[in-house]
Amino acid sequence: MKRLFPLAGLAVLIASAGAAALESSPPAHPPVGAADASYTYTVGPFVAEYEAPAPGSYTLPVIGRVEDHPLLDSAGGSTTLAALKRDRLAVIAFVYTTCAEATGCPLAEAIMQRLDRRLADDAGLARRVRLLTISFDPTRDTPARMATIRDAFGPHTDWAFLTTASETDLAPILTDFGQPVAKLTYEDGTWTGLYRHVLKVFLLDEQNRVRNIYSTGLMNPDLVMNDLRTLAVEPRE
Amino acid sequence: MRSLRLLVAIVMVTMPVARSLADETCMSAYMPKITGQEDYVYVWTAGAEGVGDGSDKLVTIDTNPKSPSYGKVVSSASVGGRHEAHHGGFTDDRRYLWMGGLSDSPIYVFDVATDPAKPKLVKTIDTFTKDSGGVTGPHTFFALPGRMLIAGLSNDKDKGGKTALVEYNNNGEFVQTMWLPDDAPYGYDVRVQPRLNRMLTSSFTGWDNYMTEFGKVVSNPEAMKHFGNTMVVWDAHARKPIQVLEVPGAPLEIRWALQPRHNYAFTSTALTSKLWLIEQQPDGTFKASAVADIGDPKKTPLPVDISLSADDRYLFVDSFMDGTVRVFDVSDPHKPKVVDEQKIGAQVNMVSQTWDGERVYFTSSLLANWDKTGKDNEQFLKAYRWDGKKLTPLFAVDFTKEGLGRPHHMHFGQNQFYKNQIYGSAGARNSEVARAE
Repeated sequence: MKRLFPLAGLAVLIASAGAAALESSPPAHPPVGAADASYTYTVGPFVAEYEAPAPGSYTLPVIGRVEDHPLLDSAGGSTTLAALKRDRLAVIAFVYTTCAEATGCPLAEAIMQRLDRRLADDAGLARRVRLLTISFDPTRDTPARMATIRDAFGPHTDWAFLTTASETDLAPILTDFGQPVAKLTYEDGTWTGLYRHVLKVFLLDEQNRVRNIYSTGLMNPDLVMNDLRTLAVEPRE
Repeated sequence: MRSLRLLVAIVMVTMPVARSLADETCMSAYMPKITGQEDYVYVWTAGAEGVGDGSDKLVTIDTNPKSPSYGKVVSSASVGGRHEAHHGGFTDDRRYLWMGGLSDSPIYVFDVATDPAKPKLVKTIDTFTKDSGGVTGPHTFFALPGRMLIAGLSNDKDKGGKTALVEYNNNGEFVQTMWLPDDAPYGYDVRVQPRLNRMLTSSFTGWDNYMTEFGKVVSNPEAMKHFGNTMVVWDAHARKPIQVLEVPGAPLEIRWALQPRHNYAFTSTALTSKLWLIEQQPDGTFKASAVADIGDPKKTPLPVDISLSADDRYLFVDSFMDGTVRVFDVSDPHKPKVVDEQKIGAQVNMVSQTWDGERVYFTSSLLANWDKTGKDNEQFLKAYRWDGKKLTPLFAVDFTKEGLGRPHHMHFGQNQFYKNQIYGSAGARNSEVARAE
């Protein structure tokens, strides 16, 4: 975890935004903390305690394939997944920017930032990879909000921050990727401001095939970089 | 009559085992957990001839004490026919239960999320052996992100113990097969510790043995040679075996410790009645050590299932022959101490505990051909409260009287979870567990 320490401030900033959102919940409800939303089995902060296997020493089988989908960029312009990615590899993180779950979105975004920096130091690989962050909270994560988040992370590559116009536009994307999310409510149906979701970050190859899916216990920047390099040295089909 | 009793006694003391469980503390680290009161226990139940419709079925039992149907069967989803229903597991989003059959290798996928009180069969994968290139007996189902990792027990070439791990995506499409190494070919359980990028597999026996009438297996010295004595340490990410551990006597269920810095796992050996510690060494390799006897090994109690509490303190160990659970304090994993021992029934197989460790569930069946007979063929689910010292009965369901069959693997469900509701205090206990270290 110490390697992520420089990013802790940003994570706190994002988490505090989540806490602020929670504070706006009606006072009749009990307070909801990050622990309430933290529901995967990983106990305590996730710390990778291993050396990632060497690039090319293993294979990444095709898990599935995703289609093209409309998105909004952080300037509010209409775009699509295919237009953003073209024929590159991609690492795609689904998050909501007010997520307060320490081992959820803040961790994913912190590691995306680390990937961004690593790629910036490897121009050859960077040309073949696109980092994409896609929000599943179209109501609060407007293009303007995504632009703010983008500025906070200060990408060194063309890492893009996307959202959608509505939950109607969002639903087919989540279904296609297999990333279920649900609004967590109180018993009376009032939204807590939190989403229930299992963290998933997707590795796509040039043909838009899913080659790996990272969850809390797999979001290790060394591992993702080695997976990218593994795909990069794969014989072209 | 005397000779028959003698034969039964011989059979009993030499009987190998084929069971396991999946409780709330041993699920995939990638999966959402249920905290607080569970509303249902889903029981994958093998059909028994002359009992109800005789078919394998997923039985749902109400476990919420505030419910009017507490302790009762609230639904049952039959799959038609008997396929040696055994184990299963949730997908990584916990919305679907994949349940396997060991005889002809079907996989049944149940939708649990739409109506948690009434799981519905939505897909049957009947191409497991063909997809995988010859693997049979889908046993452990371990969720990976977007995928299901399945440990087989056998193969369709010689029906022996050589087998493989098989992956499907969550849509039920085949991804890949990874055969166990030649010097450790058997399979049974598979569990990943993501923090260490290590995966452990254990070993049992092949189709020829687990589908054969029990007495015939134990009376055949050649058959008795074909049980696994190894565990394999894998690079989880690369899916490559990197170390073979000698763990003689059919090591079955694997339970990784859950707390940070606890770089070890437990298993129990069915034939030698030992508790084993599989511990990472300073150089990163693993070492397997027998750390305790389970009952009197000379009496072959046949430990079949284990369950580790979320704080890594208590290990529940079920042994089939004496129908007994022994609770070990494993605070010092090198020196387990028995703190409680209770008889659950004439036979007992699986044990599942809740995340808070306060409720413990037991089921009775081992395998259709290996369960006890006559009055000892008790088929039940029994629920207990655990207070740290002893187990107190809560309720029991008689699976024969209810016309259900032979109850095996258990999984927990919760209305609140599938309605995506949380209560303000829901995470408190979880946080306490996380701080227990």
